[in-house]
Amino acid sequence: MIEKLDKIKRNFHAETKKVSTINDIEQLKIKYLGRKGIINDLMKIIPTLPSEQRSLFGQQINLLKTDVTNIIEEAHKRFHSESSSKVKKELFDITLPGKHPFIGKKHPLTQTIDDIKDVFARLGFDVAYGPEVELEYYNFEALNIPTDHPSRTDFDTFYIKNDVLLRSQTSTVQIREMEKKKPPIRIIAPGRVYRPDTVDARHSFMFHQVEGLLVDEGVSFADLKGVLNQFIKTYFGQDVQMRFRPSFFPFTEPSAEVDISCSICGRKGCSVCSYSGWVEILGAGMVDPNVFKAVHYDVEKYSGFAFGMGVERITMLKYCIDDIRLFYENDIRFLSQF
Amino acid sequence: MKISCNWLKDYICFYLSPQELADKLTNAGLVVADIKSVEEDFCLEVEVTSNRPDCLGIIGIAREVAAVTGGILRYPETNYICESINVSKFINIVVDDSILCPRYTARVIRNVNIKQSPEWMQKRLRCLGLRPVNNIVDITNYVMMETGQPLHTFDLDKLSGQKVIVRRAMAGEEIVAINGARRALFHDMLVIADSKRPVAIAGIIGGKDTEISESTKNILLECAQFEPRQVRRTSRALGITSDSSYRFERGTDFEGVDFASKRAVRLIKEIAGGEIAGGITDINSNKPVKKKITLRMERLNRILGLEMKRDIAVDILNRLQFKIINEVDNYIDVEVPGFRGDVYREIDLIEEIARIYGYNNIPTKTSISVRGSVKSKYERVEDSIRQFLVCLGFYEVKTFSIVDKSPLQSINLWSDSGGIDIANPLRQEESRLRTCLLPSLINIKIYNMHHGVEKVKIFEIAKVYLADDRLPREKTCLGIVADVDFYTLKGIIESLLLNLGIILNCELVTAGVIESKLFKDGKAAKIKLSSNILGYLGEAKEFGFKTSPYMAELDMDLLVEKSNFTKKYQTLSQYPPVFRDLAVIIKEDYIWADIENCVKNTKANYLEEINFFDIYRGKQIPAGMKSIAFNLCFQSQDRTLKSEEVDLAVQTILNSLQETLGAELRKQ
Repeated sequence: MIEKLDKIKRNFHAETKKVSTINDIEQLKIKYLGRKGIINDLMKIIPTLPSEQRSLFGQQINLLKTDVTNIIEEAHKRFHSESSSKVKKELFDITLPGKHPFIGKKHPLTQTIDDIKDVFARLGFDVAYGPEVELEYYNFEALNIPTDHPSRTDFDTFYIKNDVLLRSQTSTVQIREMEKKKPPIRIIAPGRVYRPDTVDARHSFMFHQVEGLLVDEGVSFADLKGVLNQFIKTYFGQDVQMRFRPSFFPFTEPSAEVDISCSICGRKGCSVCSYSGWVEILGAGMVDPNVFKAVHYDVEKYSGFAFGMGVERITMLKYCIDDIRLFYENDIRFLSQF
Repeated sequence: MKISCNWLKDYICFYLSPQELADKLTNAGLVVADIKSVEEDFCLEVEVTSNRPDCLGIIGIAREVAAVTGGILRYPETNYICESINVSKFINIVVDDSILCPRYTARVIRNVNIKQSPEWMQKRLRCLGLRPVNNIVDITNYVMMETGQPLHTFDLDKLSGQKVIVRRAMAGEEIVAINGARRALFHDMLVIADSKRPVAIAGIIGGKDTEISESTKNILLECAQFEPRQVRRTSRALGITSDSSYRFERGTDFEGVDFASKRAVRLIKEIAGGEIAGGITDINSNKPVKKKITLRMERLNRILGLEMKRDIAVDILNRLQFKIINEVDNYIDVEVPGFRGDVYREIDLIEEIARIYGYNNIPTKTSISVRGSVKSKYERVEDSIRQFLVCLGFYEVKTFSIVDKSPLQSINLWSDSGGIDIANPLRQEESRLRTCLLPSLINIKIYNMHHGVEKVKIFEIAKVYLADDRLPREKTCLGIVADVDFYTLKGIIESLLLNLGIILNCELVTAGVIESKLFKDGKAAKIKLSSNILGYLGEAKEFGFKTSPYMAELDMDLLVEKSNFTKKYQTLSQYPPVFRDLAVIIKEDYIWADIENCVKNTKANYLEEINFFDIYRGKQIPAGMKSIAFNLCFQSQDRTLKSEEVDLAVQTILNSLQETLGAELRKQ
């Protein structure tokens, strides 16, 4: 039987030398390894053999099978690589466009608010919210803006009824938070505010603000500068310049307006910065003692600062958007850009 | 307020270009918004904040320049020579209400020569944007611009009874103002009257009858102080504002009244000639007490974060014309000049010092204490929903909370109460707070359709406003509009719930009447989460779309309440699951939920999951029936299941389906 195997082996080697096409290999494979091939036929003999020969013969057949399989596979590979180098196949074009999964976008104003939250969260500020329909007291009196005071001119307001209005600023949240808690307080309050302004490229009767408040013992104007500097450099970039100007807000004393160097013209002067090289981005100041009195805080023990910024304004500056109405038209072609 | 550079130089000497001056003023809190070159002069547009009426005169600006530059102030000339005959011979002044009019002064000049004012004065007035009228009117304007104190002149001969009464208006009185406006007056308004009628609205505007004309010979010069809130209320009620009312409502200086009056008289004598009656009628009963404030250096340095020495603070206060009464150790006692009505507390002095010292010279400290900040549950849920929907291809939109009163916008899914109206709307289009988000989202869908975007997937997280007690209930909602089918949107909502850790036990029930205003009949559902209404889901009605999108509005507050971010690991089974696909033929009336419940109720051994995958109606299925195909997953945690035991479980399920729902296994 062993001689029979040797003969088969010799024949196989002889035949492999004559192979010239991939088709020949296929034929050879069927002849030896196919279901009705030579090796399978040999397998069928095993049960007919005397039991002491079965094991040895089985091993021999398996060796032969491995040998044949390897040789055929090698030949296969050889022909494959030869054919692919000789015959020009279909071109695999890696420059065809990728298939993009369809992903939406957060509204640009949300993105700005998220960025602001992010910077201030790192500085330990929590996010606080308050009602948009608000008592007049929280929008005005508690913030040191008395009735019939000329500063109210800056705060024209939508009213619902006598002492109920749509908040014209997120500063209302300051009072509500301080009524709830004792210092230390560190919050930012993003939200919608409303003012009866006729809509044009720069004005909207509804817009967003983010208010900030920090109250503790020994808080100073220098700390206010530090915190806002941190925010502005993070949000607008390390190269941006910052300028603090004295200003007036009834609920802070001293009060400041903060300008940054105009990113559009690089301080050379353009229409965005009214040719001054600076653009105003937020109002801030040390919390006025009258505000602390309204919430029964000890004005000798505690001090604090507050700041407020317009989300639309900051977003417009960051992306050079020239019309505030775009935020509320929600044209997908606009939203998809951010 | 506009100022002229040349005019400013009358009171303070400085060697600055207009731009340098503008920068210095801006850094001291007087923003110079614009610089224009006008007739060999420069006009600076200065933005004066409402707390600084003292800067509504050029002398006031000069004081600021002096404080910033350290220059010396020069006040203008106010002395003049008068006749021996006293002013009281010509006019009798009565002030009825000394609260609303703390000070009223009158001077009389006779035989003036009315003509054009000199060119230099006209030029200065023009630079400030004022139109020259005649010498007398121009002088009162000039002195107002110079001092910030408004003045008014009457034609003395047209005042009847040689009398001026400062009183409240009487019922039925009216006045025609200099600008031609006729106004009915009310009792809460303060007027200047002669013996017969009102001749001016106090502090706001003069009357036409008694104004200075070309034929005027003798004049009465009024210079007074009126109560700011009264002037503001009257000005608003009558719809008349003037340079005068603008200044009075911000507050004028009690002591500055006589200075301005004398200054005007001097200029009248110089420019219009005439004889000045001797003396002055000066009615004042409430001379304010000089405010005294103690400034603690320690407090100043703590608030500003500085280590300023006392002498620097004293120098700044001096330059600002504050009077130093005493300075010892760390204290400075200060008397506030009358023109600084805004300064009455220690903190106000601290601001003054900071302002002149320069905000940009205060250090920037980064030494605030460490404090951890925690994201609230609301924040987490909101962020998670936004992120989830954005990744599924949704765009977030933001729409106005104030809407019109159309039937569509009046839909209220969340309460039975009506909408909340704005008392003073700008336009009818924005006159009510919304009670539902979807109408606004529908409008955004239509807007995009008109701009070439046919299919959208959009959402908004915002509040709706539901009438309640004193303040409305503000409910945060999630609105979704998407050009997808019902089951896709349902699936998105279910996945969203799972993502928030809300176990899927929400139930869809047929929608009611209110929802039918938004959704198509039979294509809408109310989503219930345990006993609460989570929201609504369905196909949009015809709102002019080419194809109707599906929409949903969910209660965000409820999502926040039910969300749960705690997670616990479930052991992974070491043994393979066994899957079986089944299709049953069932009456059309039965719904998937019936099958699902029936299968779950059998509590078949090792059944882990049941998943719907197909529904079929067709040739092989009898009429009135449908074939529903689903997949069952069996699994054990402790061994590999045998085929026979799964077969047994499947048979139990099939039996139950047959008994309960009359469902038959569909043969191949």
